[in-house]
Amino acid sequence: MFTIGKLASLTSVSNDTLRYYEQEGLIEPAGKSPAGYRLYDTDSARRIRFIKHAQNCGFTLAEIRELLALRARDKACCGDVRTRAVEKKLQIEGKIRAMKAMSKALEQLIADCANETQPVNECTIIAALERAAVSTPVQ
Amino acid sequence: MKIEIFYTPGCSDCVAAHAKLRTAAQESVKDLEWRELNVLNDLDYAVELGVLTLPSIAVDGELVFTSMPTVAQLREVLLKRSGART
Repeated sequence: MFTIGKLASLTSVSNDTLRYYEQEGLIEPAGKSPAGYRLYDTDSARRIRFIKHAQNCGFTLAEIRELLALRARDKACCGDVRTRAVEKKLQIEGKIRAMKAMSKALEQLIADCANETQPVNECTIIAALERAAVSTPVQ
Repeated sequence: MKIEIFYTPGCSDCVAAHAKLRTAAQESVKDLEWRELNVLNDLDYAVELGVLTLPSIAVDGELVFTSMPTVAQLREVLLKRSGART
């Protein structure tokens, strides 16, 4: 059994993060020391590594909670996890596409601003952004 | 009318649901084009349509269902759309 400090050093996660994970129900102490300190077991360390890997793949903590629940559910199968992984990939691909569109829009603005010595009130980028602001209704 | 259902393989419940939905669609629409797309084989197209959850269903290139509809829900949408066409 580990104290929170020991668990933090084993998993390279800060004490504050571990407390947050505990508040969020992602990990829970396996017991308490005679002095009343929370103690964690190897399953907590395993769950924290799982959380870190899943975060590296883009999963949010809410999604990771679902994955952990799936892991513990007898009736769940790998297909359930795979579907979530595919959905995450779709989200990431969608974001990549949106960011590429933003990059392209910026590329156009940059190309249109050929004369960088112009005063700022004649800057084509600012003018173009102002035009865009006029044509986009404020929500 | 073109119906495209985006799915991931390995879901036995989905296969049974697809068959029911397909039958309902065939009964509701005359000129039906039914496509079942493994999202991993058509990822770009799925992203283009805005598919984020599975299964999802697009009708005539527009994302209409982002989870598995009931037969009644699908039928209602198809009848409404085919009515709007005529």
